[in-house]
Amino acid sequence: MTTTTPPGPRALAWRRRGHSAARFWKQYRTRRAGVLGLAVLVLFGLIALTAPLTVGSDVQSVTEAPGQPLESPSGQFPLGTDRFGRGLLGLLIWGARVSLLVGLLAAVLSVSIGAVIGITAGHFRGRYATVMMRVTDWFLVMPTLVLAIALATVMSRSLGTIILAIGVTTWPTTARLVRAQTLAVESRPYIERAKALGGGHWHIMSRHVLPNVMPLVLAQTTLVISSAILAEATLAFLGLGDPTVISWGGLLQDAREAGAVSSGDWWYLVPPGIAIAVVALAFTLCGRAVEAVLNPRLGVAR
Amino acid sequence: MSTQVHGRGLSGPTRSRRRMPATVAVGAALVLSAATATPLDPAPRQAAAADGAKVLTVAVAQSVDSLSPFLASRLLSTSVHRLMYEYLTNYDPKDSRAIPGLATKWESSPDKLTWAYTIRSNSKWSDGQQATAEDAAWTFNKMMTDEGAATANGSFVSNFEKVTAPSPTELVVRLKKPQATMTALDVPIVPKHVWEKVRDFSKFNNDKSFPVVGNGPFVLTGYKADSYVRLKANKSFWRGSPKFDELVFRYYKDQDAAVAALRKGEVSFVAGSPSLTPAQASALKNADDIKVNDAPGRRFYALATNPGARARNGQKFGDGDPSLLDERVRHALFMAVDRETIIDKVFQGHAVQGEGYIPPRFSPYFWKPSAGQELAYDPAKAAQLLDQAGYRTNSAGKRLGKDGKPISYRVLCHATDPNDKAVGQYLQEWWSKLGIGVTLDCLDNVSDPWLAGTYDLAFDGWSVNPDPDFVLSIHTCAALPATPKDVGATDNFICDKRYDELYARQLAEYDPVKRAAIVKQAESRLYDLGYMNVMAYPNAVEAYRTDQIKSIQTMPSAAGNIYGQDGYWSWWSAVPADSGGSSDSSSSTGVVIGGIVAAVVLVGAGVFFVMRRRAGADDRE
Amino acid sequence: MSSVQQAVVPAPAAAAPRRTAKGWAYLRYGAGKVGGAVISLLAVLVTGFFLFRLIPGDPVKTMTGGRPVSAGQLAAYRREFGLDLPMWQQFTDYCGKALTGDLGTSYQFRAPVLDKIAEALPNTLLLTGTAFVLYTALGIVLGTRAAWRHDRLGDRLSTGLALTLYSVPSFWLGLLLIIVFSVGVGPIPGLFPTGGMESGGEEGFAYVLDVAHHLVLPVITLVAVEYGQTLLVTRSALLDEMASDYLTTARAKGLRDDLVRRRHAVPNALLPTVTLIFVNLGRTVAGVILVETVFSWPGLGGLFYQALSVPDLPLVQGLFFVFATAVIVMNTLADLVYPLLDPRVGR
Repeated sequence: MTTTTPPGPRALAWRRRGHSAARFWKQYRTRRAGVLGLAVLVLFGLIALTAPLTVGSDVQSVTEAPGQPLESPSGQFPLGTDRFGRGLLGLLIWGARVSLLVGLLAAVLSVSIGAVIGITAGHFRGRYATVMMRVTDWFLVMPTLVLAIALATVMSRSLGTIILAIGVTTWPTTARLVRAQTLAVESRPYIERAKALGGGHWHIMSRHVLPNVMPLVLAQTTLVISSAILAEATLAFLGLGDPTVISWGGLLQDAREAGAVSSGDWWYLVPPGIAIAVVALAFTLCGRAVEAVLNPRLGVAR
Repeated sequence: MSTQVHGRGLSGPTRSRRRMPATVAVGAALVLSAATATPLDPAPRQAAAADGAKVLTVAVAQSVDSLSPFLASRLLSTSVHRLMYEYLTNYDPKDSRAIPGLATKWESSPDKLTWAYTIRSNSKWSDGQQATAEDAAWTFNKMMTDEGAATANGSFVSNFEKVTAPSPTELVVRLKKPQATMTALDVPIVPKHVWEKVRDFSKFNNDKSFPVVGNGPFVLTGYKADSYVRLKANKSFWRGSPKFDELVFRYYKDQDAAVAALRKGEVSFVAGSPSLTPAQASALKNADDIKVNDAPGRRFYALATNPGARARNGQKFGDGDPSLLDERVRHALFMAVDRETIIDKVFQGHAVQGEGYIPPRFSPYFWKPSAGQELAYDPAKAAQLLDQAGYRTNSAGKRLGKDGKPISYRVLCHATDPNDKAVGQYLQEWWSKLGIGVTLDCLDNVSDPWLAGTYDLAFDGWSVNPDPDFVLSIHTCAALPATPKDVGATDNFICDKRYDELYARQLAEYDPVKRAAIVKQAESRLYDLGYMNVMAYPNAVEAYRTDQIKSIQTMPSAAGNIYGQDGYWSWWSAVPADSGGSSDSSSSTGVVIGGIVAAVVLVGAGVFFVMRRRAGADDRE
Repeated sequence: MSSVQQAVVPAPAAAAPRRTAKGWAYLRYGAGKVGGAVISLLAVLVTGFFLFRLIPGDPVKTMTGGRPVSAGQLAAYRREFGLDLPMWQQFTDYCGKALTGDLGTSYQFRAPVLDKIAEALPNTLLLTGTAFVLYTALGIVLGTRAAWRHDRLGDRLSTGLALTLYSVPSFWLGLLLIIVFSVGVGPIPGLFPTGGMESGGEEGFAYVLDVAHHLVLPVITLVAVEYGQTLLVTRSALLDEMASDYLTTARAKGLRDDLVRRRHAVPNALLPTVTLIFVNLGRTVAGVILVETVFSWPGLGGLFYQALSVPDLPLVQGLFFVFATAVIVMNTLADLVYPLLDPRVGR
């Protein structure tokens, strides 16, 4: 409906955002590490998404396992077989789905909690903010791994539990960063104007603050995914994951339980670990690049 | 701490003085830790070689709960107590019948209510005092009168009326009613003159002052939580001194690390928990100087079904799926379990396919279903059975319960047992073909849902004794808890009249052959009930170094196991190999080489850093 | 589990007093921080109590291990451990005792929780302490080097390696080290023990060497995965500092470049690192759980596991309290030390 009339404020805003996205991309491109990380992520993303076509869900079936248990690498099984006789290459590819999904969801959960608390605490100030920041500080001193282990023990063993355990324990840093940014944004004059024009709390937070903290949230998400993937592997390795779900951490746990360390079955142990490290590294590289573009003074990726 | 050093160094006036501390500090610290890897490798054997003592090191995966015989219940702790203290009786390593321990002989009155034990006069405590009947009487009386002292073994004495020691060699026990375990009282007898000083038995852990006074084949000389338990041979042990001078149980959290330690010669023996994995066994079989003891197991590995938990007073509790109360459903489920695959893939041959309740190792009682009775692997027939029972599939292929909802069973599994998780995944796929869902409920600690009856199926297993009475008794109605608030001896709440009759008959039968026949009938009944489906009899797979242990007694002597025996036979009998020399020298050479390599690498790294710094500084200026 | 940048939490700078009225302001500031820490500790005490009571499982039934026990005996056990009391009373008992330094008696070990912790804590501290000194030193040295030579090949490699090791799961690295340096691969002989802290029975100097020998692999694992963070923080702080105006001024005055860096840039840039150091110190006590598991190290991590599976409530609570206390105390120390170290104060 705005096609015939000159562009409205909203369209203008969108156009402005489009421009800044393009500018962002132009700067991001100059960071080689970031581009490399992004490329790796795209590759792994594609592998995970196309897994049903390339290896198929049959790869995780134990009854239809094609090989003998713990075969060493061969033409048929490039990475050998696991304790059931399933091809490890296929499992590694299939496991990418769970590891990436858990990492992604846990990070989204963590950053969402952090963003909501950060924005509201920055916007409302007063007693609410004090309480919220106390809670945040308190979560910040909780030993993350200990708390996550405790939560995973309390709840039943499932992917949801792992996501929740990671998400609930890692949000405070985001909350603090977002709050600081919110305070900075709200001190700008145009927020005053918006308020004077009758903008309510919701309007200010969603239309003005959120778009401004979004880049920070984005960078934070990328970084949190990296630690979430490591956390998922850690919890699965400690035997707190769902044993029927294939994930990289779960594969490592299987390998250790089967006795791969003392028997020297490196093909069972090495690839999942490398996969975890590579993806975690790629997310970190991306996060650092994003952060460097958005906040050059941080100097992280110079 | 070091940061302050750095801070000062970094603000120091001249470059050279500033540069050195940083590199040197890091380098020195690393070299220090690497240097310790060099020649003085203090592996126990080498320390032993120095003073000529022969040390037997056993890797265990369990930690000690308490070293007080009145509190300990874990297998490791009770095994250590077997070595520290003599019990009244012991078990023959050949056939496990009761043989003399601290008591040389025993007899019961005709009414079986009074038992008189003759205490041997050639057993001395390690502090030189004579072990007497008075010590035994005091031990039992303490357990009868002090709740704290009854914690671990109170069940043995709960039926005792009076225990007296009329003379140093005579012990008399009066019972309230006849008790079957009077020649199998697994209670360590402690020295009265030491233990009467203990004030609170519920808190005394016997791990503060060493050596601990005892009269067993070994004397406890040291203990460190989660690290080791150390024992010294008791040279004056009445049955004869052990051949090894020292025995060390070393704790490994991770079984795989323990196996690696065995391969390297850090330990002489590895017990599986409960068994080495197939991968470990096959890798060890190919290793030099290692013998894998792959003994037919005394365990069965079964799938237990919740028959609707209830107490003796008739009260029902728990929430087992009602469809499992139908025998056809239970049979169908088990007919969809391919035991051959479980043996081949999960145990990789280190187990025997399950048949009846009692493992074939106990041949007199081993029973096999007849061809017509057997619930052989037949998924098609299983589906038919389910259809007959009225559990039909819907359009999506899901089988529906009587309430019209798709059936899905919770299978309780031990998170610490890889076999449970592996078999669970097979079950999930086999039963999904029947249209039945499976949730694997893997917990570190299953006892809670188990005792509460809040599961549908569960992985189950027991170690069977030569006398099958105990494993049979846990399926009788009498074993049910008295009320839902009690804990009964029951395994999984089975209560069947016909089975109970057979159980009572075998108990009253004195003729071994006739008794065996009745036991087999009971097994047959249990099989038909379908509440306890034995999938496999896992082997006891353990390994030791032949260059450190020349020979060791298994129990039973023929094809028996070594760790977790009833009695102290394995460690008491172990004979050291003449020379542990070869592996020693090679490993110490390895250590020396490693030390040199590490030192070279570190020096190289240090030089590299210094050079780079210098180069960097030159660049800049 | 926190990511590289997240660890930098030098919040105190904002609240730190400056120049004026130094003494009193600092005292008031310090009192505030200590007060906050005490509140946090109380909160941890409360959380520990309620969080672990959510773990499904009846400790009494677990302890009796499925042995036949009558309801009367079970009740006796409950009475012994105070589990028969209403929740609020258990809670007040627990708090009252905790305030007098009594953390209760472990269900499974029948020993005071404090004793069990005192047994394991030195082992954990030995491992984390050694690793901490090494990775902090390594991180600062390499971080400073990387910043000085920033954007050159050396920096790229060093930073890249740090980031890579930082992304590696520590337990996995530990397992690989065991395979290569304990079990031995090909020509590499197995040099180091596969686990544990001592062979048992050594005394004197031999004992020290024995423990150090066992310490090598776990320490290398910890150093490898941890030093990267210190490196990156030091590096970026130094880069920030080097870009700041006063350095330009200093340079303009004709001071030599490296002198400027050493005299001004490095000390200032180390401030965020100091904060990180304290945060790390607190964090590693709990973070070492994984490495302890892989190397069978007899520390707090292993104890925590054994306690969780029962659940041995007094022990779990006690350990949780210790883990959190370590972080709180160290964070508070960082808060207190930071203004004292800030060279902009009083210079």
